[in-house]
This record gives sequence, structure tokens and C-alpha cells, in this order.
Amino acid sequence: MIKEIIQKLDHSLEQGTRLLLIACLFLMLGLSVTGIVLRWFQISFSWIDPFVRHLVFLSAFLGGALAAGSGKHIAIDIFSKILESWDNPRLLKGFKVFISIVSALACLWMVVASIEFTKSELEFGKESFFGIHSGFLVSIIPFGMTLIFLRFVLRVFLIPGKAEE
Amino acid sequence: MEPLSYFLILLLALIGTPIFIVMSLFGLTAFYFAETPGAALIIEMYRLASAPTLLTIPLFTFAGYLMAESGSPKRLLKFAEAAFGWLPGGVAIVSLIICAFFTAFTGASGVTIIALGGLLYPILMKEGYSEKFTLGLITTSGSLGLLFPPSLPIILYGLVAKTDIDKLFKAGIVPGFLLILILSLWSIKNGGLKGTRIKFSLSNLVSAFKGSFWELLLPVGVLYGIYGGITTASEASAFTALYVLIIECFIYRDLSLFKDVPKIIVDSMTLVGAILLILCCALGMTSYLVDEEIPMQILEVMREYIDNKYVFLLFLNIFLLIVGSLMDIFSAIIVVVPLIIPIATEFQIDPIHLAIIFLTNLEIGYITPPVGINLFISSFRFGKPVTQLYKASIPFLVLLLIALILITYVPSLSLFWFN
Repeated sequence: MIKEIIQKLDHSLEQGTRLLLIACLFLMLGLSVTGIVLRWFQISFSWIDPFVRHLVFLSAFLGGALAAGSGKHIAIDIFSKILESWDNPRLLKGFKVFISIVSALACLWMVVASIEFTKSELEFGKESFFGIHSGFLVSIIPFGMTLIFLRFVLRVFLIPGKAEE
Repeated sequence: MEPLSYFLILLLALIGTPIFIVMSLFGLTAFYFAETPGAALIIEMYRLASAPTLLTIPLFTFAGYLMAESGSPKRLLKFAEAAFGWLPGGVAIVSLIICAFFTAFTGASGVTIIALGGLLYPILMKEGYSEKFTLGLITTSGSLGLLFPPSLPIILYGLVAKTDIDKLFKAGIVPGFLLILILSLWSIKNGGLKGTRIKFSLSNLVSAFKGSFWELLLPVGVLYGIYGGITTASEASAFTALYVLIIECFIYRDLSLFKDVPKIIVDSMTLVGAILLILCCALGMTSYLVDEEIPMQILEVMREYIDNKYVFLLFLNIFLLIVGSLMDIFSAIIVVVPLIIPIATEFQIDPIHLAIIFLTNLEIGYITPPVGINLFISSFRFGKPVTQLYKASIPFLVLLLIALILITYVPSLSLFWFN
């Protein structure tokens, strides 16, 4: 029952992240091409460039969350390959769970640090492009890190499940 | 306590913890012991959102993935075979040149492997090259071209070192071609001489050209746009992505906009996310290294023991190779360049020559085991263990080191246009 809930939660996060990522890419593509074409006609919107860069920044975290969920983050994989060659699935599972726990804890530390930064930016920051306050722009980091943290946490419970299948 | 923490973090890295987690932990731990709030690391991460060429990474990657998933590799292979199949090592040489040009305008090394790797891998394998050679060639090509204009690292170096960027652009051309020449000869030796050669046929070439016309137009258009000063790299990446999307979905109709494209977006952006997170965290780590003046301390030690220009160059190469394999090129330029320039001036090394030595080292650092970033990107892109990439890239690494020795000890290669 709990496992099903975890699986559903993980699936919902995955689907939500995918949709957001697809929307981000089409937006950054559409806006950047529109901006360039408009410049040919001497029309320019100063908010397009920073907005697109923040979309890329957001995509980094969304992509990172997908990589966390599927265990596709770039890592030195020598040790895991050695474990795989030992043909000991329980040890391998335990090792993967350990890596996910460490990663989740590190992400939690990042979430706390990024909330600190966002708070101070909300207090001392200023309006950026499009009238958006810089505090909201930097909140991409705690949002993104929380998403990655959740994916690592859920992975802790799902790794044995996936392996058993 | 502090050294033990770093030792544990190193251990975590070695057992396979994601690199961005390792870098975050390093940064946070370092700031913690320096009694600086962790928010300092986040401020550095946020600097990435203001990088002017940031857009090139997702859009070129997306375009590369679109092409890789479409019928493009087959069409380009057909054309490559018709045009260069009669040459020994022709396809590998073309691969090197395409990668070099691509890297020259994307500046970020990983993008070439991601965008072109999927395209070149099946072509080279079908040409009869071994998997080891193919992986090695693509991994190496991922940073080949950093010496050609208008490479972003050259511009950044010029800005940091206060050296004439136009001169640097010219200076990189001969050493850049030297690297391609050496790797081309290796390609001929590895595949061209033993591989099957196709008899040249003009009608086959014309038919293959017609079949892949829209794709062949792409590099020409992009290079003309950038080198002709019509578009910036970011603009070129936007047009490339849109152009590839249109030709693959509506002209060739290899891909469905609603069925295939969303999946390709997710696949490509997963990789982009993994890379950008490492870049973000590298910025935080670099900030700590600058604050603690760690590269300065290393160089201070060098300065104590070295009094000869040639020995200095040797140690500089070793130092930069280590730096290049540990840090991304942009951080390395920002951190190390201001530190080595006064010492290099003391040893009477030409600043233009120094720039080329510096950039060549960092280019090689990308494929230097155990942590050269190209090795990990290739491992991810092709789903191969990183140890396989180590083995595959070693022959290329040796060849590039030979080229580095030539570039270092024959200054006229870099100063060809100025003598």
C-alpha cells in the first residue's frame, strides 16, 4: 500500500517535471527565435534574453530531477561496475540506496542554503525584467533542489522494488 | 576534522556519488569550515543564469538529439560514403573537422559529444572502425576546436588576461589544425588502410547530396552565420533547433511532433540538466578556491624550485593538465590565468604563446582520466562504463600530448601569423 503511494507520487513528479520541461523548451525556442526576428525589424524586448536564460536555468534543475529519478547523473561509476561484476544483487541494491541517501541529504543541505539566499534576496533584492522581483527568480534554486531531493528520497524506496521486478 | 571531511567527500566521489552532489558537498563543507553561510555557494550557482551563451547548451543538444533520432545519420552516412568513401580514413577525418567547427562555436565541450556523438557513432561503426576507436575519437573530438575562432574560451582568456582577442583568434589556427592533422593520421592508420574502399561515382554523390540536402545546408548556414558575423552563437543555436525541428518533422517526416519530439526533449534535457548542475556547482567550488588562493599556493611552490623557462613550461603543462581534468574550462580560465601570467612573464614567455599553451592543455584535460569531463559525458551519452572510455581515449591522449609538446616548445606554431 505505502509502496504504491510512493510509486504514484514518484510517477506524478516525473510526469509533472516532463511537462514543465517540454513547455520550457518550446518557450525558450519560440521566444529566442521571435526575439531575433523582431530585432530585424528594429523591435526589441529587453526581457526576452534574461527570461530565456532563466528558463534554461530552470530546465537545468528539471532535467536534474529527471536524471535523479532515473539514476542518470554523471558519476565515477568504476565502483558500481565492480559490484555489478560480483553478481551480488543485494549488495548492489544496498550500495545504490546508500548513494541515494547521501545524495538526498546533500540536496537537503542545498535546499536549506538556497532558502536562506532566497529570503535575503526577497528582502534586499530588486525588480528584475518584466517587473518580476529577483527574490522570485532565485526561488528557482530551492524549488529545483527540493524536486531533486524528493526524487532521491523516493528512489531510496523504489530501488529495491525496481530490482525485484 | 576539516581534512577528514574532504577525504570522505573524495571517497563518496570514488564510489559513484553524482559529481554535482560531490561538488555541492565540497563547496558547502568548505564554506562551513570558513564560517561562511551556505548561501554563498548558492549565489555563485545563480551566476550561471547570467551566462550569455547559456542558451546554446540546451538548444544545440536538442537539435543534436533530434538529428540523431531521425533518419539523418543514414542520409549523412550515405553522403559521406559517396563523397569520401574512396579516401583512406575519410569519414573519420570529416568527423574530426565537423566536431572541431562545432566546438569552435559552441565553446562548451560537452555539447559536441551530445549533439554530434549520436550522429557520428553509427556512421563510424558502419565504416568499420572499432568501438574503442569510435568512442575515443568522439570523446576527443568533444573538445577539439577550442583553438578555432570564435571559440568562447579564447574570448574569455583574452578578457581575463587583457590580451588582444583578434590576435588570439589568429594564433589558434595553426595549432588547431596541427591537432586535427595528428588525429587524422591516426584515423587513417586505424581504419582507412584496412577498411573497404568504395569506388567514386558522381551519380551516387549527386543522389546522396540531394537526399541529405537540407541537413548538409545546416553546418554551412550556421558557420556562415557565425563566422560571417551575422548571428551570435545563441542565435545560431535557436535557428539550428528550429530548422532541425522543421526539416525532421515536416520535410523528411522522420519524426512526429507529438509522439517523438516530447520524448526527445525529455531525453536531451535530462542530460542538459545533469551537465548544467555540475557547471552550477563548479562555480561555487571555484569561488572557494579563489578565496583560499589554492592555485596561487601551488604556483608559489613551483616558483621556488624552478628557474628555467623550459622546466617551467613542463611543470606548467602538468599543472594545467590536472586543472583541466578537474575544472571546467571557464572556471579554470577565470581562476588560473591571472595567477600564471606574472610568472610566465618572468620567464619571458610570449603572452599569445602562453594563451595557446593554456587552452591546449585545458582541451586535453577534458579527456584526461580519471575525471576528464568528456569521459563522463561520453559514458552517459553512449551508455558505456567510464573505464571503457578511459581505455578508448588513451591513444588519443598520447597523440594530443605529442601535439602539446610541439605547441609548447615550438612557439612559431602559435606565432606563425606574427613573425
